[in-house]
Amino acid sequence: MITIQNLKKSFRTEEVETLALNNVNLTVEEGEFVAIMGPSGCGKSTLLNIIGMLDNPTEGSYNFAGHEVGGLKESQRTQLRKGNLGFVFQSFNLIDELTVYENVELPLIYLKMGKAERKEKVMKVLERMKIAHREKHFPQQLSGGQQQRVAISRAVVTNPKLILADEPTGNLDSKNGIEVMNLLTELNQEGTTIVMVTHSDRDSHYAHRVVNLFDGQIVTESQNRAIGAMM
Amino acid sequence: MFKNNLKIAWRNLWKNKGYSLLNIFGLAIGITCAAIILLWVEDEVGYDKNFAKQDVVYYVPTNQQYDGEWRTFFQATPGPLAEALKEEVPGIVGAARTKGETLLFQVDDIAVNRNGRFADPDFLSMFSLSFVEGNMETVFNEVDAIVVSQETAQQLFGEDSSAIGKVVKINNEASYTISGVYEDLPNNVTYGFDWVAPFERFAKGKDWMKEYGANFSDTFVELSPEANFDVVNQRVKQILPEKTEDDETVAFLFPMKDWHLRSSFEGGKNIGGQITYVRLFSLIAIIILLIACINFMNLATARSEKRANEVGVRKVLGSGRKGLISQFMVEAVITAVLSAFVSVLLLKLLVPQFNLLIDKNLELSLSDPVHLLTLVGVTLVCGIVAGWYPAFYLSSFKPVEVLKGARRTKGSAAFIRKGLVAAQFVVSIVFIISTIIVYQQVQHVKGRDLGYNKENLVKIPVTGDMIKNYVPIEEDMKASGLIESIGLNNSDILSGGNNTSGLEWQGGVDTENVLVSVRNITSGFFNTAGMEIIEGRGFSENPAKDSTNIIVSESFAKLMGSGSAIGKTVEEDYPVIGVVKDYLYDDMYGSSDPVIFFNDPSEARFMYVKAKSGSATASALAAMEASLKKFNPAFPFEYEFVDDAYDAKFKSEKLIGSLSQIFALLAILISCLGLFGLSAFTADQRRKEIGVRKVLGSSITGIVALLSKDFMRLVLLAILIAIPIAWLLMQNWLEGYAYRISINAWAFVIAGAIAIIIALLTISFQALNAARVNPVKSLRSE
Repeated sequence: MITIQNLKKSFRTEEVETLALNNVNLTVEEGEFVAIMGPSGCGKSTLLNIIGMLDNPTEGSYNFAGHEVGGLKESQRTQLRKGNLGFVFQSFNLIDELTVYENVELPLIYLKMGKAERKEKVMKVLERMKIAHREKHFPQQLSGGQQQRVAISRAVVTNPKLILADEPTGNLDSKNGIEVMNLLTELNQEGTTIVMVTHSDRDSHYAHRVVNLFDGQIVTESQNRAIGAMM
Repeated sequence: MFKNNLKIAWRNLWKNKGYSLLNIFGLAIGITCAAIILLWVEDEVGYDKNFAKQDVVYYVPTNQQYDGEWRTFFQATPGPLAEALKEEVPGIVGAARTKGETLLFQVDDIAVNRNGRFADPDFLSMFSLSFVEGNMETVFNEVDAIVVSQETAQQLFGEDSSAIGKVVKINNEASYTISGVYEDLPNNVTYGFDWVAPFERFAKGKDWMKEYGANFSDTFVELSPEANFDVVNQRVKQILPEKTEDDETVAFLFPMKDWHLRSSFEGGKNIGGQITYVRLFSLIAIIILLIACINFMNLATARSEKRANEVGVRKVLGSGRKGLISQFMVEAVITAVLSAFVSVLLLKLLVPQFNLLIDKNLELSLSDPVHLLTLVGVTLVCGIVAGWYPAFYLSSFKPVEVLKGARRTKGSAAFIRKGLVAAQFVVSIVFIISTIIVYQQVQHVKGRDLGYNKENLVKIPVTGDMIKNYVPIEEDMKASGLIESIGLNNSDILSGGNNTSGLEWQGGVDTENVLVSVRNITSGFFNTAGMEIIEGRGFSENPAKDSTNIIVSESFAKLMGSGSAIGKTVEEDYPVIGVVKDYLYDDMYGSSDPVIFFNDPSEARFMYVKAKSGSATASALAAMEASLKKFNPAFPFEYEFVDDAYDAKFKSEKLIGSLSQIFALLAILISCLGLFGLSAFTADQRRKEIGVRKVLGSSITGIVALLSKDFMRLVLLAILIAIPIAWLLMQNWLEGYAYRISINAWAFVIAGAIAIIIALLTISFQALNAARVNPVKSLRSE
């Protein structure tokens, strides 16, 4: 699904140029669950942003499901992102002014889906995430765990091929964190590819494979034996 | 998607009530102000539009040359001109001599004065009078006929009865028969009239009106729709020189569509007029709207950090830039629509007050499609103008950056924001300076030595037996103990007119070309008006004694050469017996023409009465009324205070003064709303810095100074930019007046100080709030 070759990303300010990613080569197969780990500033989020088509690489190739993404314009990346990718953030990034239902509905609106179909899909995913009873609440009225469940609902409502999760449990207590990881595992078992950035050893154990980054380079890759729900 | 945009826009407005109120109120003030100006502009440009023949009817003024200079005169065409134009100028299909008069209409116990015109029959169709009774073709069949407006007819005969065939007594002597009643004319017509009577009746027995030498009437003509204006006008200009063999008086066509807005002439050429103010105020409306829109832009971009995350999330979820732009535009337009609702309420409250100020009858009517569409148009334009910059700015955020929480406080947006605040203050300061200078100029002119004393001076139009009974009226009024003196004059003391040229006098050079005003007065006039005889003596109380003696004004005396003017003669037969100090009339900013006074009450049109100083105004007026009721019982007592009439001469200055005062207030209010909002956001953005500084020992004053410094720099910059702009504008405005102030630096100092104080008060309110916050709280929240 994802093939990254000799990928480089540098950030330039007036005075210095920082190389965030240096010759990264990575392949993610369909249905895989990959965790990206490494210390702060090693380039994990930068890599995830490029995989999520939120940013372009400076050099190298990034092929997503047969499309070369590296040189695409923002509007083209937006088109490719729609429906194919779902995002889960550490800080949930729900829109405060929209209700739970409306937050989850938003990606479907951008896909120009009809109202009835939207409703069916949103309710289905909310029920699955056990948050349907809160559909009319606003994000501030929910606990952190509930907010992340809404965020995951929003990420999966379009039935994307790939879910990108950036420290999905970073703002949660352990109980809620485990719940979220179990949800992601479930989705993966149903066939969704997941790439997750994490600091947490515990969370990394949910993944099939762990990629370790250091100073913008992949230093190790390891397969996990224990796969699936831990608790 | 649109519904979603609407929903989120509404929730955003509701969630940030303070911010929304600032925006809505700021825009509402802008829209209200623009709407008031547009109502005024609509009234101004709508003058004479009700007349169906507006495009083909022309007034005929004359240009006359005196001392090598062309001057334009109204009410100054000879009687035979109308007929000559109609018969000899191809393209002219109608022509009418007219003469405006105020007549007393009497029916039984009712007696009312009404302004109107004696006119030739063509006049009725030129002004497209719509007759509710009578027929335009036949109403002037009889010479004693008169047609009146519906309002006049109802006042005289009641609402239910027909006026046709009824006889009215006019000026307590002649009888006229009502032959037609026409629909009332609207207020905004240049030449309004409540009645029209055949010119023949007015001309009866006045054979001098048949001569080309007497310029006394207003002439109107109608061109055929196919006629070429330039060709016809060229021919019209030839007529008077042909008839009089004098090429120094030339008639020309003045289009009805220009009567109100372009009525000023200089050197014989049209130089505009009220149109200048229409344009100026339209521009001001746009500027006020713009500074209201700037508020919106500033506050929206200042809040960008709060919206950045949402933009990032939406982009990640698949929104394109266009979608986000339309979302933010929807928010701006909703704000503008809410502002329009507030503005309609404000207009309901303010338009009546504005009407009092400018003496008009403006009204906002939402059932009028023009008003409604204009309001909708202004609202949409406001929303779009205010919304475009924030929409483009906010939608440009990159999700990678904003979701990471990168701050976007620096850079072009902050620079533009500062520029816009400075621009708002430039406008405000220019308005403040203009207000001060207009005020100074009006006071300067009003303080000018007029050569007469207008205090307690009352002007009463001469009617009925007032001339015949002048002596008993004077005695009776004086006997009341409240009246100091009275005098008659054939002209209004404040106005020009009644002038002549071609005179010769002793000591004069090229005197034929000097335009001289002629005034016929009684001996008491100078004393009544407080005019000073600086040489010689005044007139004898017995007109017969001084029937050929004249008094001249100081400037006329100067034209009589060196030495005393006393004893020198005008036209050989009229010796000068006195010289009166120059006085100001007609153009209050210029210098007036020389004047000759005759001791002759027979042509008097106005009685001037000086009330004793200290006598209560009401009792003095009662004394005047009592005397006039006794000696001129048929006519109602009508009067005007000369100082009121004098003030009315400054109508457009008063208008520009009042408006620039209002606009200055509004501009500064809108700017302060913006500054208030911006300083709140700045304080919020810098709360961590404030906390750290306080922990390190900064005082509250230090924090307030820190937060105020940046904004005060902007205001100072605005002052520096505003001064030359205001100077240029006001210098240009002042150059239109011969008698004017020179601009004083104090106007700039005062305006600058006002702007600084108001800005400081606005900013320090927010700065103080921010400085008082416990640093523990602000640092924890970081």
